[in-house]
Amino acid sequence: MLRLLAAGFIASAAMIGAIGIAAADPVTITFRFNDTEQEVRGAIDEFQRENPDIKVDLQRIGWKDARNQFLREAAVGQGPDVMHSAQVWVKEMGKAGAALPIDQFLKKDPPPNGFGDFISQDLARGNDGHIYGLPWTTDTWAMVYRTDLLKQAGIDKLPTTWDELRADSAAVYKKTGKAGFGFPAGSSASGAIWFLANFYWWSHGAALIVQKPDGSYGIGVTPDQVAASMKYFKQYMDGGDNPQSNLAASDAHDPSIMQALVTGNQAMGAMPPNTYKEIIKAYEGANPGKPVPFESGPFPHPDHTKSSMIGGRMLVINANTKHPDQAWKFVKFMASEQVFAKYYRTQFPAQKSLLKKIDFGAPLKGFAEQFEYARTWGPYADGPVPIGTMWNLTGRAFGKALSGQTSPEQAAKDLLSEIEKQMASKG
Amino acid sequence: MRDRLFITTMLLPTVVLLLLFYGYPIFDNLHMSFTDLSLLGMRKGGNWIGLANYRELFRSGDFGHILFNTFVWLTATSVVLRLLIGLGMALLLNTRALKLLRLAAVSRFALLIPWATPPIVAVVIWRFLLERNGAVNHALIALGIVDHPIAFLADMRTVWPSLVVIMLWNTVPLIALSLLSSLQTVPDEYYEAAELDGATHWQKFRFVTLPFLMPSILVLGLMSVFWSFNNFVYVWLATGAGPGTYTNVLATEVYIKAFVDFRLGYSSAIGMVMAVIMAVFGIVYLRLVARQQLEEAL
Amino acid sequence: MNTSAPSRYWRDPGATALVAAAFLAIVVLFVLVYPAIYVLVGSFRPGGGLLSATGTFTLRNYTRIFQGGFGRFIFNSLVICVAATLASTILSIMAAYAFSRFTFRFKATLFMGILFGQVFPWIVLINPLFVAFATMHLINSYVGMILTYTAFTVPFSVYMLVGYLVTVPKSLDEAAIIDGASRWQVIWYIICPVMLPGFVATATYAFLLCWTEYLFALAFLTQTDLKTLPLGLYQFFGEDNVDWGAVMAASVVTTLPVFLLFLPIQSRISPGRIAGAVK
Repeated sequence: MLRLLAAGFIASAAMIGAIGIAAADPVTITFRFNDTEQEVRGAIDEFQRENPDIKVDLQRIGWKDARNQFLREAAVGQGPDVMHSAQVWVKEMGKAGAALPIDQFLKKDPPPNGFGDFISQDLARGNDGHIYGLPWTTDTWAMVYRTDLLKQAGIDKLPTTWDELRADSAAVYKKTGKAGFGFPAGSSASGAIWFLANFYWWSHGAALIVQKPDGSYGIGVTPDQVAASMKYFKQYMDGGDNPQSNLAASDAHDPSIMQALVTGNQAMGAMPPNTYKEIIKAYEGANPGKPVPFESGPFPHPDHTKSSMIGGRMLVINANTKHPDQAWKFVKFMASEQVFAKYYRTQFPAQKSLLKKIDFGAPLKGFAEQFEYARTWGPYADGPVPIGTMWNLTGRAFGKALSGQTSPEQAAKDLLSEIEKQMASKG
Repeated sequence: MRDRLFITTMLLPTVVLLLLFYGYPIFDNLHMSFTDLSLLGMRKGGNWIGLANYRELFRSGDFGHILFNTFVWLTATSVVLRLLIGLGMALLLNTRALKLLRLAAVSRFALLIPWATPPIVAVVIWRFLLERNGAVNHALIALGIVDHPIAFLADMRTVWPSLVVIMLWNTVPLIALSLLSSLQTVPDEYYEAAELDGATHWQKFRFVTLPFLMPSILVLGLMSVFWSFNNFVYVWLATGAGPGTYTNVLATEVYIKAFVDFRLGYSSAIGMVMAVIMAVFGIVYLRLVARQQLEEAL
Repeated sequence: MNTSAPSRYWRDPGATALVAAAFLAIVVLFVLVYPAIYVLVGSFRPGGGLLSATGTFTLRNYTRIFQGGFGRFIFNSLVICVAATLASTILSIMAAYAFSRFTFRFKATLFMGILFGQVFPWIVLINPLFVAFATMHLINSYVGMILTYTAFTVPFSVYMLVGYLVTVPKSLDEAAIIDGASRWQVIWYIICPVMLPGFVATATYAFLLCWTEYLFALAFLTQTDLKTLPLGLYQFFGEDNVDWGAVMAASVVTTLPVFLLFLPIQSRISPGRIAGAVK
């Protein structure tokens, strides 16, 4: 009797499973998007209206798992036709054989302003010379300030040097008792301290990974410079103007940091534009009708050095796709001006001509300014050590130094020697 | 003869299913641990490098620290506390007093709440509760236990205890409810007999209740060790193995090596070492500790 | 139930015992429930009430997640988890009965072998399993997920049930067999009623493991209309931002079906009935 039951159960389970498999339309392509559906729903509907012979099936997955999932799917001949990728993953995708080179499409059926109009081209091109992704959106990080708290602390002008930033943060804490520059100092593998560390190095003319004139890659920052950056950020922890609990916060959008900025318990933060917009929205929701006491500004960039990154996403076509032409048509459409103008307004387009037309608005002025002083990860993505590895190691080293487990000098030395070791082992 | 057919029928489906699901992946994993397979090279496969991954693991400077965290904090502390608290809760829920107070049913209901909470949500909630302006700090300050908020997940003195609390909240209900079910199978006659013999509360617990619970406690203990030892979710989501590498454990190291550094071969080697440690523990445990209790099954 | 039973092994607890038990129970209840109440309250506030302290009541978090397909996720989770729980419990009852009632060759080896898969951290099994699943066409299918969850819950269920079964005297079975019952009848009419709390506990375990499982679901279910609740919940954790209101509403929605399923079952298990069955 039990066996009968089991057989019946398996049969019914199989039936349910069969129902789940979608009937194949003439051409259905799958688009895996890693942000919220509403952002692109309108654009996809429009595409389907314009191309009744192509149906786009939207899949969603979180950013944290997107890359691993795509790599393992691509390895066994599966996965979506078009994939939303971070700009810095694209070279890896090409190297793994997961992404389709799009050179021929760019030649045959180029975007209106040509490929030359796109930013972050260096990250789209694999070491074999092929282009593996179309830069889609871009953003950068900038500083965000609560102007009312700055005023209470007697500060009427945004800081322009790292020392001023430090002094202003300490002043806020001393005069108002509120947190100054409350940055997330957590050491998780995707922690935000990685960005701050690099911005600090870049603005001082250094970089963790540089390409030498002979084309090889090396470390472009000295142990002393790394230790100095650790000491710089450690002052905020030791001074108390960045609360110790932020050693456990890893994201720019950590709720306690966002909350502190919204409620006026913290005067300064560092973040991407979408986090900032969310903070403004929350403030407006809580204080209807009041003027927004926020301003953004670039990270200090003495001597016109770079002090933030040009980040963003690309669209990648799966090497396993059965419909490359339809996939390209979709990719090209998604990067078109009408999509950014009409539908996809939460991100900035990764094309110079389109970026120029955008009105950033007053609160985001600092981000627009920052774009002038931003760079791509460039050699970081080409070099032998995966960015994720360096990101993880840097976060750990800063965590050890900032929490006082080891001295900044020791942590800096360990960090660089570990990266050197990894570079050597990968040739 | 009929018994043999019966036994085969009873066991075959389970054995086939487990072989299917664990057999191939485990052998594949063993093979991977001798290669330099990268997540980026899954299509091509890795190169055979013999024992190099294992050598690197045993020589890595952090290995001792990671082992200590895994054994002492993640496993021993959490398992012992989980069993003790679980047992205590089960006994409490089974008392006559609670039934008279009509709290027993409510409590059983309440046990489902933390248990049905996905670990990600459990961690997120506790991060809110433990943060600077969180409920725990408010309570401690209001009670006059501390003057300044404690940075629970950032301070090295409190980060491990905090992690253990998060794990316990999410997992104790399983233990409590399982033991409660065991308690409910104790026949009343046994207590009546003990009562007639004039047994004290402690004697009743020691000689009637505990023998009934012991098989369950031993099984829960063993499983609890396996889960805790192999668990990466709580540490990874709550501290990301930080500050620095302070709360790094073997399971988070596996994750970092596989999905941050892309070194599938190396992470497989760590996985194999973990499996061997647990297998040895499991065998010793079943042979020595649980022998008597589960002897009918062994 | 048992309140009027003439033979009572207990003395009614005194006032001190009552107060102590009540106090302890309230502390336990508070710790268990408070964090969940925090989420429940947050789910009715914009942004989960985290970013600002305004107390406006809203249902928008709930309407938003259901517009985002949460109804479908509940259905998927129910199908997969109920099926996996049934399969896992039935398989485990069968295996546990064999282990606790018979002696046969390789018994100890087999019994320990069942645990073999449990000694591995699941994260290292994901990639190999994914490759195996892809060749068997079990990606994006209910069957694949149900089999996975069955396989991952059976070992513990078998052990738990053996733990319960060894405390049930074999004489019960033997008496029934002498009376002419078959083994299946013994399991159904004698073991099942006695062991009901144990079965429910292991079934609860199996169900909740499936209900909250994320790693396998993530790797094996990528089609939106097949996703389970934890996947639905994770999608609110964005790159630059977390939709806390949605996360909290989704947690509440994730927990609720568990009550609806298990409350009727839980309330029906009373110690009195079980004790009666052994007599």
